[in-house]
Amino acid sequence: MAAITRGAYARPGTSLAFKTGTWRVEIPYHKHWAAPCHAACPAGEDQQAWLAKIQEGKLHEAWNELVTANPMPAITGRVCPHPCEQACNRGIYDAPIAIHNIERFLGDEAIRLGWNYPLLRPTTPESPAVAVVGAGPSGLSAAYHLVRRGFRVNLFDALPEAGGLLRSAIPMTRLPREVLDSEIQRIFSLDGLRFHPRHRLGRDVSLSELQSDHAAVFMGPGAERSKAWDVDGAVPADLHQGLHLIKEWVDHGEIPTPKSVAIHGGGNTAVDLARIMKRRGVEEVYVITASGLPGPGTAPDDVLNVVPRELEEALEEGVVFFPHRTIQRLIMRGSKMIGVEMVHLKKLPGKGGRKSRVSFQGTERVLNVDMVIPSIGEAVDSAGFENLIGNANYFRPDDWGRLAEHPGVFVGGDARGDRGTVSAAIGDGCKAAMAIQAHVEQTEVIDAPRETVGYESLNVNYFEPKPRAYVAKIPVPERDDFTEIEQDMIYAQVVEEAGRCMSCGNCLACDNCWTFCPDNAVIKTRDVCSDGSHYLFDYEFCKGCGLCATECPCGFILMRPQD
Amino acid sequence: MRQALEGSLAVAKAVALCRPGVVAAYPITPQTHIVENISKLVADGDLETELVSVESEFSAASVVLGAAAAGSRAYTASSSQGIMLMAEVLFNIAGLRVPMVLTCANRAIGAPLNIWNDQSDSMAMRDSGWIQLYCADNQEAVDSLIQAYRISERTELPVMVCMDGFILTHTLEVIDIPEQDKVDRYLPPFAFDRRLDPSDPISLGALVTPEFFSEVKHSQHAAMQKALPDIVDADKEFKKLFGRDCGGLLAEHGDEEATVAILTLGSIYGTLRAGMEAHKSRKKVKLIHLRCFRPFPEEVLMAALDGVKDLIVVERALSPGLGGIVGTEIRAVLSTARKPPRVHNVAIGLGGRDVPLDMFSRLLEALKNGSIAEFSVFDADLSRLPEEDR
Repeated sequence: MAAITRGAYARPGTSLAFKTGTWRVEIPYHKHWAAPCHAACPAGEDQQAWLAKIQEGKLHEAWNELVTANPMPAITGRVCPHPCEQACNRGIYDAPIAIHNIERFLGDEAIRLGWNYPLLRPTTPESPAVAVVGAGPSGLSAAYHLVRRGFRVNLFDALPEAGGLLRSAIPMTRLPREVLDSEIQRIFSLDGLRFHPRHRLGRDVSLSELQSDHAAVFMGPGAERSKAWDVDGAVPADLHQGLHLIKEWVDHGEIPTPKSVAIHGGGNTAVDLARIMKRRGVEEVYVITASGLPGPGTAPDDVLNVVPRELEEALEEGVVFFPHRTIQRLIMRGSKMIGVEMVHLKKLPGKGGRKSRVSFQGTERVLNVDMVIPSIGEAVDSAGFENLIGNANYFRPDDWGRLAEHPGVFVGGDARGDRGTVSAAIGDGCKAAMAIQAHVEQTEVIDAPRETVGYESLNVNYFEPKPRAYVAKIPVPERDDFTEIEQDMIYAQVVEEAGRCMSCGNCLACDNCWTFCPDNAVIKTRDVCSDGSHYLFDYEFCKGCGLCATECPCGFILMRPQD
Repeated sequence: MRQALEGSLAVAKAVALCRPGVVAAYPITPQTHIVENISKLVADGDLETELVSVESEFSAASVVLGAAAAGSRAYTASSSQGIMLMAEVLFNIAGLRVPMVLTCANRAIGAPLNIWNDQSDSMAMRDSGWIQLYCADNQEAVDSLIQAYRISERTELPVMVCMDGFILTHTLEVIDIPEQDKVDRYLPPFAFDRRLDPSDPISLGALVTPEFFSEVKHSQHAAMQKALPDIVDADKEFKKLFGRDCGGLLAEHGDEEATVAILTLGSIYGTLRAGMEAHKSRKKVKLIHLRCFRPFPEEVLMAALDGVKDLIVVERALSPGLGGIVGTEIRAVLSTARKPPRVHNVAIGLGGRDVPLDMFSRLLEALKNGSIAEFSVFDADLSRLPEEDR
């Protein structure tokens, strides 16, 4: 006990004798939440983490952080529907961070400056080998994540070039091929990865061969087989599938140009095709879809499953959408198509709480078109691995890509049927790599998702309103088959825009806790602490007032009752 | 050298003799002349001190607290509402054990607004932890001020020197102003042990938690009690150098064998002395001037009251709802006495009400005919009040 001085003056350090920590009934602690962007990312990126690096001016470190989840940011920055931005808490405050534009910038910087992947473990000739079938987004991702973990990888694809649907089905206006080539090239330059083009499973190599030569097999065959389409058993004589037409156009630059066309379907393929045909001079391009258009009256799960920007551009370019409709009848004159009869769909409660869509009789309408193109989705072409999938349209693995009946075989990407985006395929590749490592090392795969932080946990008083960065697009009359429509961000914009990130659920290093603590019980460190922040609580003196938790802008500091 | 001086000017000169490092004050009637005169001394080059013009009494007290804490001999003066505005800082000065001297030119506290003399202002600071010395005349005001620095610096307690507003501050009196060299001998340069010094930092006024507060308060109380001999000593030492004293803790005048005593504080003492000389009485009466009210000189007072049968406590303040302040305290002290006198308590001269010479006779007359109450505002004419307010 300190001696009491006359007039109770205090020598320097005297306050250290007052252990105000004994007053505490609540105790502050740091909680690194998942930011909503991270929780929403199908590829598993932690956008908050790499935006924070950009805020520090460390672009290379930001990219290093990004590629721990996604090896192809220059691609996803262009083609991903960016659910991160829909989830972004900043959207509630003013406007979401332009995450996809920043991601694209980082990816392009990496290409320009020749950055290499940071790997976890080197590969040696003794490293276990894994076969990856299909060099599309999921296969490329799986190969990368496996090599990153020290595996050797043999990557097989039936085609002469890697890329899968990125190369065959995504228009150059969305994904320039030099970007695609650069990203693939970086993956292919990894030690331990061997690419085997023109190897079709069942023709050039058998599944059993792969299984006997490798510790595990990853299947990323995609969904290439267009689903059968007819209207009451009728099909036009010259029926072409949407995906097939896009492939033709990508490979040969050819596309049919009727006077008018109805495209049936509501995915990216339908919208891409509609825009290609519109640009090629088809006067009337209609998209008939069972889904709704985005708007106040449309439930989020009812909205057309396309990149929002692409839909916006399609509308700009004059594509006409008929939402919540289906084709009820084909109108033919002999073998010549002259129109379709559409009907509205309404949702009725079905079995098991699901809603089923049924035709709304009396709402029929005839649309005069010369051509109808189905684009209702694709299924897995199971040639060469029929024993894995049977008669099903898709694989049904668990979340890690494991097939219950086939240990050692893992599946990801569009072949799952429940994914549907490049980013999800990339996420599958990463998860499968983790599961394969656990399988080979005979351990349990560990999944420790963080809780997602909501807007209400933030103290937004510490953020200034600031408009989202403006990114230019090529005007409609100047759009062609090759020029990318959405333009680049410049460096200054990237830094500015990253600065808008509210660091939801993570430490912003703003010093609020350190400044506000009335007991000097927040200790600021030069380096980061074990929890990744710059601050430690000195529980000897923290009296649990909760100022730090209230004033933390990011929801990173929480209070719980003292034991 | 004996001079006819206004009380305020005399006090200003006494302040100058003490060589204060910092003076800060805000004008308020009836203290104004003290500070004006100090200001004039500074302007004339007769006093070298840091005279700080402030915008309020709160600031004045805060400036002298800071100055004294930094090791300077500091002075301030105020009255009435000014003392009220200083109150928070006055408690802090005492609690922090920072030595300094303040002159309280006693004046009534409003409301109703009143600029004249009583002692309700210093009485309101009774529990602030300041030593309180009351002056019977202007010579005492001068001498007590010089003594106050010596007491304060030895006890590390602040001293409030109380002099009745107008009656002393604005009245000419023949005063012997002490010589500077003697004052310098009496009052060596101030060296405060616990001064704020950047080269050896301490923190003054830090939060004191419940686990220490009781001890700190005890030590403040003990320091006040231990200050009693220092106050007596300061007066004795003063007499050695200057040939006069203020009576130490209390002064007495009259018959040593008195059975009736009248106790008062401040200038009424002089009025009653004059009244006593004019009064012809067979009763043996003495007057007691309670010079030191805080710390309360219990032992000396008990001794002075030995043999007294009736004690009239005359004071210029009251505690509404109880009665007298000093009277109540004396009753409490006497509760342990073997043969305590009967205590009669009166408040007179409130808010500048004139205390005439015949007040002495009126008090004795009231005592004689039994009309003196346990407590009364003695000179109040209740007939001027509506019936229901009496």
